[in-house]
Amino acid sequence: MRSLNIFILEWKHFVRSPFKIVALLLFIIASIYGLHNGADLYKKQHSEIERINKEIETQKEETLSYYRNNQKGPENRSWIDVTTPFWAIWSTPTYHFKAASPDLVYNIGQTEQYGYYKKIGTTSSPYDPDMAKEIANPERIQSGTLDFSFVVLFLLPLLLLVLLYNIKGQEAEQGFLPLVFVQTGSKNWWIASRTAFYTLLLLLTLFGLMLYGAMLTQVFDAETAFFKIFAYITIYLLIWVFVYFLILKNGKNTVSNTLQMIGVWLLFAFIIPAAVQQWVSIEKPANLMIDYIDVKRDKTEEIYGQDSDITDAQLFSLYPTLQESVIAKDSVRINNARRRSIRAILNVEMKTATDNLEKDNQAKNELIANTFWFNPISFFQNKLNTLTKTHYNDYQNYRDEIQNLVDKRLETMVLDIWNDVKINELKFIEYTNKLSK
Amino acid sequence: MLKIIKNEWLFLVRSRIFLGISVAFIAILLLSVFLGNYQTQKQAHTHDTAKEHVRQQWVSIDDMNAHSAAHYGTYVFKPSNLLSSLDEGVNSITGNVLKVEGHVQNEITHSEASQMQSISRFGKLKPSLLLQYIVPLLLVFLAFNSVSNEKQSGRFKLLVLQGAKPLQIILSKTVSVWLYGVLLLTFILGVYGVLTFQNLTSEILTRTLLFFVSYALYYFIISGLTVFFSARWQNATLALTAMLGIWIIWTIFLPNILMSSAEKWHPLPSRSEFQAAMKEDRAKGIDGHNPADERSEALKQKVLKEYKVDKISDLPINFSGIRLQADEEYGNSVWDKHFGSNRAILKNQKESVQLGGIINPFISLQNTSMGFMASDNLHHQEFLLQVENYRRVFIKMLNDKYTHSKRTAEHNGNADNAFFRSVPDFEYQPTTISAVFSNYVLDLSLLIFWSLLVIVLIIFGTKKIQIV
Repeated sequence: MRSLNIFILEWKHFVRSPFKIVALLLFIIASIYGLHNGADLYKKQHSEIERINKEIETQKEETLSYYRNNQKGPENRSWIDVTTPFWAIWSTPTYHFKAASPDLVYNIGQTEQYGYYKKIGTTSSPYDPDMAKEIANPERIQSGTLDFSFVVLFLLPLLLLVLLYNIKGQEAEQGFLPLVFVQTGSKNWWIASRTAFYTLLLLLTLFGLMLYGAMLTQVFDAETAFFKIFAYITIYLLIWVFVYFLILKNGKNTVSNTLQMIGVWLLFAFIIPAAVQQWVSIEKPANLMIDYIDVKRDKTEEIYGQDSDITDAQLFSLYPTLQESVIAKDSVRINNARRRSIRAILNVEMKTATDNLEKDNQAKNELIANTFWFNPISFFQNKLNTLTKTHYNDYQNYRDEIQNLVDKRLETMVLDIWNDVKINELKFIEYTNKLSK
Repeated sequence: MLKIIKNEWLFLVRSRIFLGISVAFIAILLLSVFLGNYQTQKQAHTHDTAKEHVRQQWVSIDDMNAHSAAHYGTYVFKPSNLLSSLDEGVNSITGNVLKVEGHVQNEITHSEASQMQSISRFGKLKPSLLLQYIVPLLLVFLAFNSVSNEKQSGRFKLLVLQGAKPLQIILSKTVSVWLYGVLLLTFILGVYGVLTFQNLTSEILTRTLLFFVSYALYYFIISGLTVFFSARWQNATLALTAMLGIWIIWTIFLPNILMSSAEKWHPLPSRSEFQAAMKEDRAKGIDGHNPADERSEALKQKVLKEYKVDKISDLPINFSGIRLQADEEYGNSVWDKHFGSNRAILKNQKESVQLGGIINPFISLQNTSMGFMASDNLHHQEFLLQVENYRRVFIKMLNDKYTHSKRTAEHNGNADNAFFRSVPDFEYQPTTISAVFSNYVLDLSLLIFWSLLVIVLIIFGTKKIQIV
């Protein structure tokens, strides 16, 4: 009953505070703007994927027409022969996508740092230039997109500050604090009830905003992390409530409380994450991809220049069944098959180089994760990134899937070349299905 | 007025809280300068090692077909810049590695931000982060009760009775708070100057001076506005909350919203659309690797006529080289059209954001800070242009060599090591401030405009303030 009275009084205080109402309204407007930014990006990525899929269909139809018309390829490119595995696979349009999750509406995360569609060929690698992020204004990316997670992680503590800053301080300044304590019985209970009122108000607002966001990208139609996201947001809010409660409990006046609250916010929102990023950059400077470049150029030259015996041994070790293939026993045709299969050996070298790079990146991620106990905003940011599938690791998984598709493409190509498989319309359709999964 | 400023400072230095906050903040500022400088040096070392490695690979080529060498290509790494110790701008998200090769203008890839999970939404702990976000807040905290407190204690009335004019007092308060910001700024730039003393050039000094001017103007706007609110309102908390509200809107809300809106007003093509459009235009030109191409045939006839021979084999040169260079030149016109269009869109976006300075001087400050520290998108685009110009010279040298290295019974047609050594390496020429200064005139003008507006506000808005 006592708490209910405090809640009712706090409600009256709230509706009579235009500053607090304006702050809440601004927060809601920013959240809606952020949710729309997330939804726009989600829709943009999906329509782009749809457009590329249509393009793939056109390309597929073009190649199929060669089989139907007994042609070997485009008229002006006489060297192309789609009845051979090499050119048939070369003409098989394959893209791999990282389709955005509907939860993107809540958090854009690292989405804009990476590409989300990749054309797969036998010479592809997950670190090709076409894996670069979408064309965008770097100054905009640097300043960050105002998405819902930004509003929650950075503006929610500020809104809470605006709602709580004058609790106790105002009464102390007006001299009726002892009277309040007499009437409510306990100082802590009174402050806790008042902060609980605003906590509930914010939780309801956040839940409402999340439901609004859910309508923008049909979040509930898919497997979603909606409730997990809300749970993390709730924990995040409660942490700030606890910190501010301690300041209010021990504070003496409104100004000093406000300064302390904003000081804590600055420390956690700006200083600590920025210092951690600076430290990580010093410990592990940006990788300039030297290992990758070396494989792309020198190793390629070396492998193309090596003796046939070495190449054969490497190919047989990769694909043991090749030794028994038709071409392996044909001393003339083996040269062409060998040359076209060298990409598979290069692919192994490329994977070794990218492995090193990924280990380096993983070491950076571990360094960052080790700071989470004193760097809570980065922890929550990465947690939200994971839940909305926009974390570095999600893009790493996407790169791994690309690598698997390249491996599969090369294996299919090498085996079919060496087994002298003839490609017809049906086999080509089989390729298009097999190589894209 | 000077006496009032002196008195203000005497009060300030007597305050233990003020001294404590100042010492702690200066320590963080010093840390940011040292770390920023150390990181730049470390990045520069990584860059130099990578550059040397790639160059060594190039000059070690003993014998290679010049066109194969164009495919082998080289790599350019984005150099770190001494000024980015103060403001890193867009450097951590723009990529670091750019392949220079024949037939294609590649895009820069492998940004630092893409190599790890998220950390800071506001970048690294560089002095610019503290100077842009934290120092203004300190100024607000110093100024929010500077006049209201005086009124409540009766000191304001006393000063007026002693002959000081209210306007003088308010302006003096503004200047004394502003001086605190300027002193912090001077201190940081002084430490930066000492750390980089050996590399200081007139260019760096000019840029740093402009950096100083833009921050000093912004600090004046913040100090003046806060003191103005403090003078207008009896309640110090109201002045504080109003300024905090303005700070949040200016530094957190509007920059994000303006940037996102500018991108919507002037949309860039998607990567796939961009590539498809270039491919389409490229297909209209000569195909350097396809002798059966119609345009290639026309070129062949032209060259044969020029050399007055009937067959390619009778030419004293290698026709493939001419065809490849023709292909390259056509490609260049395509790249110029499409990359040029993107640059124009980015320029329009930038201009729209700059106009945002009319309602938000923080936007102007961010633009000048990154711009004068050579780390904004404009400088990044200049770097990319230099690399592309280098690529064109590089590929032309290779194609010319290929043209004049006809395979004969005695010679395999390949270029030798001396030739590869003669191909110059890419040397980045930092963009001078005189070349790009005009791009920041609007930002500086808006900061000046805001400063004047604050003065006008103080003069006319405090004419009728209550003395008690």
